[in-house]
Amino acid sequence: MTLLKSYYELCKPNVVYMMLICAFVGMLLAEETVGSFWYLFISLSGIAFCAASAAAINQVIDRNTDASMTRTDQRPLPQGELSATHASIFALVIGILGALILYLYVNTLTMILTLASLIGYAFIYTVYLKRATPQNIVIGGLAGAAPPLLGWASVSNTIEPYALLLVLIIFVWTPPHFWALAIYRKDEYAKESIPMLPVTHGVIFTKLQIVLYTIILFIVSLLPYVVLMSGEIYLFSALVLSTLFLYYSINLYYSEDDEDAMKTFQFSIYYIFLIFLALLLDHFIIIS
Amino acid sequence: MNQIKNLSLFGICMAFVVIALGAWTRLVDAGLGCPDWPGCYGFVVFPINEAEIAIAESRYPTFPYDINKAIPEVVHRYFAAALGLLAIFLVYLSLRKTNDKSIQGWSCFLLIFICLQGTFGYLTVSLKLLPIIVTIHLFGGFTTLLLLYFIYLKSRNFEIFNQINISNLKVISGIALAVLVFQIFLGVWTSTNYASLACADFPTCQGSYLPEMDFKNGFNLNQEVGPNYLYGLLDNPARVAIHYSHRISALLVTFIFLILMSRLWFSEAAPLASTLGILLLTQITLGIINVVYVLPLYVAIAHNLVAACLLLATFTVSYLAWKR
Repeated sequence: MTLLKSYYELCKPNVVYMMLICAFVGMLLAEETVGSFWYLFISLSGIAFCAASAAAINQVIDRNTDASMTRTDQRPLPQGELSATHASIFALVIGILGALILYLYVNTLTMILTLASLIGYAFIYTVYLKRATPQNIVIGGLAGAAPPLLGWASVSNTIEPYALLLVLIIFVWTPPHFWALAIYRKDEYAKESIPMLPVTHGVIFTKLQIVLYTIILFIVSLLPYVVLMSGEIYLFSALVLSTLFLYYSINLYYSEDDEDAMKTFQFSIYYIFLIFLALLLDHFIIIS
Repeated sequence: MNQIKNLSLFGICMAFVVIALGAWTRLVDAGLGCPDWPGCYGFVVFPINEAEIAIAESRYPTFPYDINKAIPEVVHRYFAAALGLLAIFLVYLSLRKTNDKSIQGWSCFLLIFICLQGTFGYLTVSLKLLPIIVTIHLFGGFTTLLLLYFIYLKSRNFEIFNQINISNLKVISGIALAVLVFQIFLGVWTSTNYASLACADFPTCQGSYLPEMDFKNGFNLNQEVGPNYLYGLLDNPARVAIHYSHRISALLVTFIFLILMSRLWFSEAAPLASTLGILLLTQITLGIINVVYVLPLYVAIAHNLVAACLLLATFTVSYLAWKR
């Protein structure tokens, strides 16, 4: 049972669930009506296996760094619950399983896009970007922003502009989201010489970047309404949520307290969840 | 129907002229150029030669005669009266030349409304330029223009308007119209309370982004008029509150219009987005010039007229979005 739980933890379940929600919203928005339950389920599980695989690969590669940070030292590999070999084999198996499901039951485009984001996160980000530049999470965020596109493509078998718009929202949201956490954990990143922005350019500069990205996010969050993809329910939700996010980030800018960084980080998670929920509600209330 | 079309179009032009003349009257402080109504110092036009002026001044000893202030007031009155005659003729045409009940109804309403508007013209004089009355009088002018425009749209029956479907812009166009009307109110309130020059600098006001303001007195709609309201009675912080509200509200209008224009851009009525954008940009520029160059007369009148254009354009978008 503990072994099963270790493998479960290896998949970063919370992150994967959030990605699945975003992919799920992408699927539902792709059509005017809800498609067959079975098809949605099989597509989501294919994406889920690949995302879990990417998370596992990330933990295998980063196992030494993870061991020396309090945020990550409870993970199964630093704890010695799993060996690196077993974790690698597990990651390979579920990765191939996920890709096969997508190839056989969904479509080739979704498989390619999913594998591309897997490679983007597990290898390009983890191995190279993370240690190469303070812009690591900005560029790497593209892989994390892919889920709505994957979900959309699984239904439509094309790359739609609206799907890219959803990707853009997550892409712009990622830097303020992650940097808020990085401010809170800056000492640990510094110890591991990972060039996170607060380490290389200081906390004040990072806070300014958070404010600027939140302003861009404010504008980007209005785009679904502007391009006639969504209606007023979404507009009002986006205005309220983006204003709140802006409030949190400006508050963080003037605050001396690191706890405010944590609050901003936590709010950012609610933000992205509620934005996608609003997109969904708006879509189905307009149709019905 | 053709005649109604042409007459209402001519009426729109006339309404613009009357609004411009009204603004002119206000801006050269000629609102009390004639102390009586409908005559001017008891004359049908206005006193011209020395003898007439002597008679005029003996009739109203407390109001020294100034021909430069009598002219705008009288010209405004006669053009407004001409617009009233036009409305009577429009009612006649609509009853005789068409069976369109809606056009007949709106024409009659226009006539009644213009009579009401004349009454408020009388009240601005008799109540000595009380701001709330002057404000209502200007809104009446804008509404008259809007009514003529609406009758024109009805009689013209544009084919393209019937084809365009932008019903997904209902809410945002409604919000934009409401915010615009609110902004026009603030603009008129600035003018009628002589607060246009309360802040002489831009974008700051009296060197600060948060100047001393007195909203309670600035927006007290039941204020005392005193002997008369020429040149305003409010103290400085109250005028600053009015002026600065108009500026802040302009930011809100711009924000709402940016959303409306972007959404229009992706709809079937995309060209209207440019129309709104150009008008909005012009209006903001004129507003800034008014402050920086100490209220040049023609710029101030243009600020008034472009506001009317912006109202017509925004009304058009709302009309298209809400039509059945």
